[in-house]
Amino acid sequence: MKFAYYPGCSARSTCAELNVATHRVAAKLGLELAQLESATCTGARELRAIDPAGFYALNVRILALAEREGLGLMTICNTCTLNLLDAHAAFVSDSELAQAVNARLADEGLKYSGRTRISHFLWVLHEDIGPERLRELVVNPLNGLTVAAFYGCHITRPPLRYGFVDSRNNIALEKLAEILGCRPIDYSGRTECCGFHTAAHDEKVALKLTGKHILSAKTGGAQTMVTPCPLCHTVLDSFQREIEKDLGQSLEMPVLHLPQLVGLALGLSPEELNIDRHMVPTDALAAYAGKAHGSVNDSR
Amino acid sequence: MVTPVAATIGASRLGQIERVDTLALRNSRLAPGDMLEVRIRRSGDLDGPPQFQSFKVPYRKWMRVLDALNWIAENEATDLAYRWICGSKMCGSCGMRMNGREVLACWEAVEPSMTIEPLRNLPIIRDLIVDRTPYENKVARLEPWLERAVTYPGFPEPLTHKQMKDSSKALDCISCMCCYSACPVIGLGDLTSFAGPAPLVQLAQTALDPRNDPQKVKRSLALTDIFNCVSCYKCEEVCPASIPIVSRIIEPLKAKAAELLPHMAGHSFALRSIVAARGRVDPSALILRVQGIRALRNLPRVFRLLLRGKINPLKTFLLVKTAAAGAAHRLLNGKVRRR
Repeated sequence: MKFAYYPGCSARSTCAELNVATHRVAAKLGLELAQLESATCTGARELRAIDPAGFYALNVRILALAEREGLGLMTICNTCTLNLLDAHAAFVSDSELAQAVNARLADEGLKYSGRTRISHFLWVLHEDIGPERLRELVVNPLNGLTVAAFYGCHITRPPLRYGFVDSRNNIALEKLAEILGCRPIDYSGRTECCGFHTAAHDEKVALKLTGKHILSAKTGGAQTMVTPCPLCHTVLDSFQREIEKDLGQSLEMPVLHLPQLVGLALGLSPEELNIDRHMVPTDALAAYAGKAHGSVNDSR
Repeated sequence: MVTPVAATIGASRLGQIERVDTLALRNSRLAPGDMLEVRIRRSGDLDGPPQFQSFKVPYRKWMRVLDALNWIAENEATDLAYRWICGSKMCGSCGMRMNGREVLACWEAVEPSMTIEPLRNLPIIRDLIVDRTPYENKVARLEPWLERAVTYPGFPEPLTHKQMKDSSKALDCISCMCCYSACPVIGLGDLTSFAGPAPLVQLAQTALDPRNDPQKVKRSLALTDIFNCVSCYKCEEVCPASIPIVSRIIEPLKAKAAELLPHMAGHSFALRSIVAARGRVDPSALILRVQGIRALRNLPRVFRLLLRGKINPLKTFLLVKTAAAGAAHRLLNGKVRRR
């Protein structure tokens, strides 16, 4: 099974560990990933508002690169996923836009015809690998590890973009956590917003919002949080010290990228998954890593 | 969290699990005469902890949340306060929260077990009735009207459907306040001066109208703090009028703000120019461009990030380009105003 792979900017900078973990887990899952080296940023939330023409050009170009390879496109960032889905939807519904974008791509001999399937790693796990195969591949069930799934916004909303209608019903991460042997917990933050998209100019919104979510995960008994989005991870993990200061209480909540949680259950070691690269110590999860690998603590 | 419907469906595509969880299907889980468990938040002492009162309501076919409330008011709690007028998704007065989600009572099927609360982010007057005054004051302050910069050219005006598509979408709003209740930034109170989704929809009805005087629109947008919208799409998710509030209202308004008040969109221009130069976002470069000297307040975090190898100052200061730089430069060299 082969996918064109689009990691996005975060996984190649502030969340480089996500990129590493994804490659390792993909190998275990038998997923072949073709990296699109010349793929640009999708424009985050900023470009689509101030420069729609530029936004469509960048995103459709990425879709065209995958189409040229004849491959589906696998993403690992929620915001990139939504940008690509939105650009694809606009492209196929507005022929004038489609012509204009293709005219700009013609310079480098690219042309999009609307055939690329866009799929986040979370959906690849459910739809392409499938729960049965995944269950067979779990060699180190994470016995009873209590996990708070943090979906992030752009993989679940807006309604109907991917087919979800009510984010209260999201179950993909919880189902997955169960397959890996974890015990998913229910808490008020699961489909809430981390506030990342205002953090570059003013992070107080992100700190306040995410503080509530981590606190509710902690109160709900979570030993770790897991998220399919590196932008959410940045606020949950890299900003946690400031969040603790704002709340006036300690949280010490480890936050894993989705492929890292999967990787632990597939028998990869914490070092292979770069779990020690997070800002909040992940020592507490050591007992759940495969016995053969020792603890995360020892690996430091 | 997991509805019984979603849990029992064996669909392979998760989207399909969601699609079949429709209101009609939820209703089909009930048979006439079944007893619904309804918990309603009563106001009691408004400063104290929330007080809930429980009721058992007999289900009848096609029952809506409003029908359940009417049954309770007629049979169990004659003092229950809630608003409704039209009963047909037009007046926008019966917005409330059912099982954690904003709904119109007149347009939402009952569920076997329901917790019903008033909308958030507005003061409670009594039971399920909220005070809309803060919203109305906000809207009035935004002066949501049209002032022509040029004289009326006479009928018919030379307007195209394309020019009017976003402002006309905003006219679908029924001011039910569901989006205002769902907005997490509004939930943070005075932390920002973000106007919130409902007032922005009201503003968009005329601010996105091409006949409006840009100077008038500029005056209004300056009061919105619109770039504090976190793009979470919660407003879109709950809008009973199905207005794509983020993509058709807030983003076009942001574009207007970037054009008329470029200082409000400084971070957007910074991101664009970094991507155009390097192909991808360098987060450190973005923070430095946007925050300047303010970035120093986060020095401890910078050190922690360095320690874990999460940022690379060499790349930032040496302006390292990625393999995507050429394409990004070519595609983003249009004439969008830069800071």
